[in-house]
Amino acid sequence: MAGPTREPTALARTLHTTLSNHKGPVHVARYAKGSAKYILTGGQDRTVRLWNPTLGTEIKVFAAHGYEVLSITVAHDNSRFASAGGDRSVFLWDVSTGATIRRIAGHMGKINAVEFNDDASVVASGSYDSTVRLWDLRSPNRQPIQILEEARDAIQALWVGNGTIMAGSVDGHVRTYDLRMGQLRSDFIGPPVTSVVPTQDGQSYLVTTLDSHVRLMDVATGKMLNDYKGHKVEGYRCRSCFGHGEASVICGDENGMVWAWDLLEGAPLPPNPPPKVHGGVVLWVEHHPIEDGEMISSAADGTVKVWRHPSSST
Amino acid sequence: MTSRLKRKLNDLGVDPSSSKANENFCLIGTPLPPLEKSRDTGEFVPLWKQEVRDEKGRRRLHGAFTGGFSAGYFNSVGSKEGWTPSTFMSSRGDRAKKKEVRPEDFMDEEDLAELRESRQLIDENEEMDLGGTEAELRRRAGAGTEEDSMASAVAASLAPPSQDSVGARILRKMGWRLGQGIGPRITYEQRNKQDRQAGISKTEDENDEEAKKHMYPRRDTPLLLVSRKDNSHGLGYTPGLSLSESLGGRGGGEQRGPHLSAGFGLGALNDADEDDLDIYDGALGSRGPKTRIVAYDATEDEDQITMGSSSRRRQDTRTPAQPQTTQAFNDGRPVLKGFILSERPVQEDGWFPIPEVPPEWKPNPRRVWEAGADKENRPMAKDKEREAYQTHEEWKRSQLSADERGSMLGETPLPAQQRSIFDLMSQKDRERLESIRNNITAGKPSTPEPDRSASSSSHLPGEIDMPHVHPSVAKAALQGFQPFTADPAKQSRYTAFLNYAADSSDGAQLGFGPLPSQRVEDFNKEIADYAKAATVFKPLSGAMASRFKSAAIVEMGPKTVEGLHTPDVSAPETPPEEEEKEEDPRMAAVRMGMFGPLTRELSPWQPARLLCKRFGVKPPEVEADADTPEHAASTPGTGAGAPADTGMAAPPPPMITDGAAGVAPASTESQGPRNLANVGLGEDEDQGRDTLTYQRPAMDVFKAIFASDEEDSDEEEDATDLQQPAPSTDLLASTSTQQDAPRHLLAAGSTQVPHEPKTSALPVSEEPEKVDLTTFKPMFVPRGEREARKDKDKTKDKKKKKAAPLVSFDAEDEGLQIDVSAAKRRDKHKSKDKGKEREKDEDGERKKKRKRKGAEDGEDDSMWIEKPPPEVAQSLPVDDVPSEPPLEVDTESVAGLQRGRKRAIDFM
Repeated sequence: MAGPTREPTALARTLHTTLSNHKGPVHVARYAKGSAKYILTGGQDRTVRLWNPTLGTEIKVFAAHGYEVLSITVAHDNSRFASAGGDRSVFLWDVSTGATIRRIAGHMGKINAVEFNDDASVVASGSYDSTVRLWDLRSPNRQPIQILEEARDAIQALWVGNGTIMAGSVDGHVRTYDLRMGQLRSDFIGPPVTSVVPTQDGQSYLVTTLDSHVRLMDVATGKMLNDYKGHKVEGYRCRSCFGHGEASVICGDENGMVWAWDLLEGAPLPPNPPPKVHGGVVLWVEHHPIEDGEMISSAADGTVKVWRHPSSST
Repeated sequence: MTSRLKRKLNDLGVDPSSSKANENFCLIGTPLPPLEKSRDTGEFVPLWKQEVRDEKGRRRLHGAFTGGFSAGYFNSVGSKEGWTPSTFMSSRGDRAKKKEVRPEDFMDEEDLAELRESRQLIDENEEMDLGGTEAELRRRAGAGTEEDSMASAVAASLAPPSQDSVGARILRKMGWRLGQGIGPRITYEQRNKQDRQAGISKTEDENDEEAKKHMYPRRDTPLLLVSRKDNSHGLGYTPGLSLSESLGGRGGGEQRGPHLSAGFGLGALNDADEDDLDIYDGALGSRGPKTRIVAYDATEDEDQITMGSSSRRRQDTRTPAQPQTTQAFNDGRPVLKGFILSERPVQEDGWFPIPEVPPEWKPNPRRVWEAGADKENRPMAKDKEREAYQTHEEWKRSQLSADERGSMLGETPLPAQQRSIFDLMSQKDRERLESIRNNITAGKPSTPEPDRSASSSSHLPGEIDMPHVHPSVAKAALQGFQPFTADPAKQSRYTAFLNYAADSSDGAQLGFGPLPSQRVEDFNKEIADYAKAATVFKPLSGAMASRFKSAAIVEMGPKTVEGLHTPDVSAPETPPEEEEKEEDPRMAAVRMGMFGPLTRELSPWQPARLLCKRFGVKPPEVEADADTPEHAASTPGTGAGAPADTGMAAPPPPMITDGAAGVAPASTESQGPRNLANVGLGEDEDQGRDTLTYQRPAMDVFKAIFASDEEDSDEEEDATDLQQPAPSTDLLASTSTQQDAPRHLLAAGSTQVPHEPKTSALPVSEEPEKVDLTTFKPMFVPRGEREARKDKDKTKDKKKKKAAPLVSFDAEDEGLQIDVSAAKRRDKHKSKDKGKEREKDEDGERKKKRKRKGAEDGEDDSMWIEKPPPEVAQSLPVDDVPSEPPLEVDTESVAGLQRGRKRAIDFM
């Protein structure tokens, strides 16, 4: 647990910078690993952009995709990242050269989610074709290591942890593939799942579904620990995440608001309702992995906004 | 011939030397057979000797290799060998001369004759000539003019009979003559009437009594021949006629010469063509005798052919051309030229006023649609209804049979009685059939046969007809696509029907009957539809089904409303019925927020081995379904991934042992399921496995070979000194132990670096005590090493690098040898603590044994390549030792070094 206390801190709601070079909706925005000084965003305009959130400058544009970019994952050493989208193939990029190292084709539909494992030796991709494919990056093998075909509808969310792979699907299931136990746990959530984010200890995970609910589920039993509602997510893939120290839950909604709830209480943090900060659907929120008062949100209005506490001016 | 005789003959005046005098009439001995066998045409010739020759004596039917049918050198082909291919010559220069090649150029005379024959037009079936055709008329006319009747009669009798058709001949026999109509003769009045009907008015009216006394043949029916239209004029238009002319009008102008169309001149020498005439000039019509002819006259007069004598015909056709008298309308006005008054009054279309629409009427098209909703299901009328359900048998029954018709007509029935099939059967069979029938009727006297309704389509209109659906089909259809999802009520009925059909054997009841508003026929049709749908929508089978995945959510399409939509404000919007069907207990649990065991499913899942490796996780043992494809997929992956994985935590030595361990159980199990990966390996499943899992030897192996410096060689010398106390000569002599030696070496050598080859492993072999590995070493120096040593001996001062490539080349060729040598060297190094290791590992021993077995199986010859050297070595001392005194030989190193030196010397 990163934070010693579970007391939720107020969400950073002061706009630091707006990154608005994307044309069209920004589907994904992710922090780099490590100290997370940089942001990678991918959007409908078929580009992946690397930003410095502090300065608000765009560092690099990675343009090789032929279709929209729907998902990005960054390797543990920040040397590479993978992106995927409508191309139906995973693009593996070298960050410094800005060129694709590999393009992994194999999916039948557009890829909604990609995720590296801990040492970036395997990349998992979940697609509209309802499969999760696991690709070996160590060998030049073109075939996936394994295909997870249990889902009956498009995969929308993926999480690859240490020994577990979680896949959220439109069929309303969150499937947890446990490599250690050789077990598949499929939790039926009901409505289509748009994001799955587990806690750092792997004991519970956060599920966003298209019935305007964010649920905190227990990994071990599959029981629902908490239910966060008030926002509106009915048709778009909106991602929720944990706030700092996993004391709060953050989720963007279709009205352009960014909601925050107390993790334990389940009540929305003030202001309730939150102000409308984006012109379109907030498609992705991500809290800074280390910093307390920083988070980013990307929206369909083509902007990525960096939020900070007013105090932390660094 | 005696002299006396000669004299006598001389006296007689006969020359004794003449042939006549010398003629010999004696025949002595049997004559020789004739040189050539006489041709006996009827003689039997074996098939292969038979020849086929054409009428010119050329041989046909050559063998297939000599040209085939009618080909070959002697017939038509250019050379003895067959077709001579023509050499290519560029025709660029004489393109102008080039003439087209016709197929005839390639034909021989036979083909040409055939072609000519086929070109001849032979009209084999002559037309039936009834005397009416032009040809006949012409012939007759010609005959009439040139010859007298007598001559023609004679000619006719001599000439072959005219080619009449059979029908004409029959008619003739029945009294018909040319030019007469067909039918019984008629009276004079009748004939007149017929004439009048045909529009022929008799010009000479001979109404004498005599004429009425006779019966006359009927008038011939004129044959109408329609001329072909081969111009592009409009129908009915006669070229060359002006409008008024074609209308039959007569102009008054008396112009000479053709009236040419304006703007066109006519040359002095040219005649006016019809194209030059002004067709729009109304005055033209009157001129010329030809143009006066009315259109239909002009055409029909020429082409109308009647079956009759020409004079009569002409007379007949002339008569109808009656000029029409001018007509007048009722009010006295004259009818326009070219028009005639219609005899029938023109029918006027009646117009009726549109009925009054009641003021309160509102259009409601739905009523009409609903009225005609199942129009196609409903019979149109009462009588149609009967017909619609009439099967073929019924229809046949409704018809009268021939007998019935006969009886109705009062015919006497035919004497033959009706025969049934029973008449043809024996009495016994008949009795048997009868008993069977009795049994059946006695068994179930009252219950109607269930199969009857299922199988036969004929049924009574009022009874429910249950089509037969095979239970398997019904079961499959229950799981397959549901066609009536848009209509839940229908869907439920469909499902009920399928359930009924699925276990129809148990005598289950159909859970529903016809709807209250539904007639039996409609219900039957509905059920039949269900049966059809079941067969159509049963899921795909087998491999095809695996390619499709059914959606989790079935989309219920919006119910389309037919036709124009008239918004009905009066009807309150009925809220859609709550479909709280509790279709899924999980969904209910979700709705209640009861996540947990209800919503969780646990199932075993086999992660790929490589995946576990990448995740740094020990592969779990999933016993539930370790399905083979995954294994098959994962094994090559590990194979590929393993060598690249040197940086990983997993150290290489365990990998090697793993590989070795992996081979062992596979060979012992070997009853795993067959799949693509192991098919074709025969019983030996680890066949070729060691080639696949070949590991690059560890670095020190190479070092041991390539880094053969002075110190190494020194070491080696030391080692050999140490290791070879026993004299090798006696070993060389003992061939029986030689046979074993390579095996041991191999066994020791093939186990790789981590496992130091132990001489202690040797006790496993047949003669454990006798064999000492160290003694064999000199014999199995690998070629590379030999070479190296030779080089070393030859040019000691040469750089070592030079030797290395030589060795490496050899090493690449024969990797196993390297192992051997390496092992040996190792052995040398470690020989001091040999005894220590002896008791150390038993499993290493086992492994060696296995390896040896594998080597014996698969790589025997590769092993035995090494055999010759001992023989050479054997032979070498014999030759060389005596001849050359040993050079500065270390007395301790007897065999190995000695041999090495000798060979080196020998090759120098």
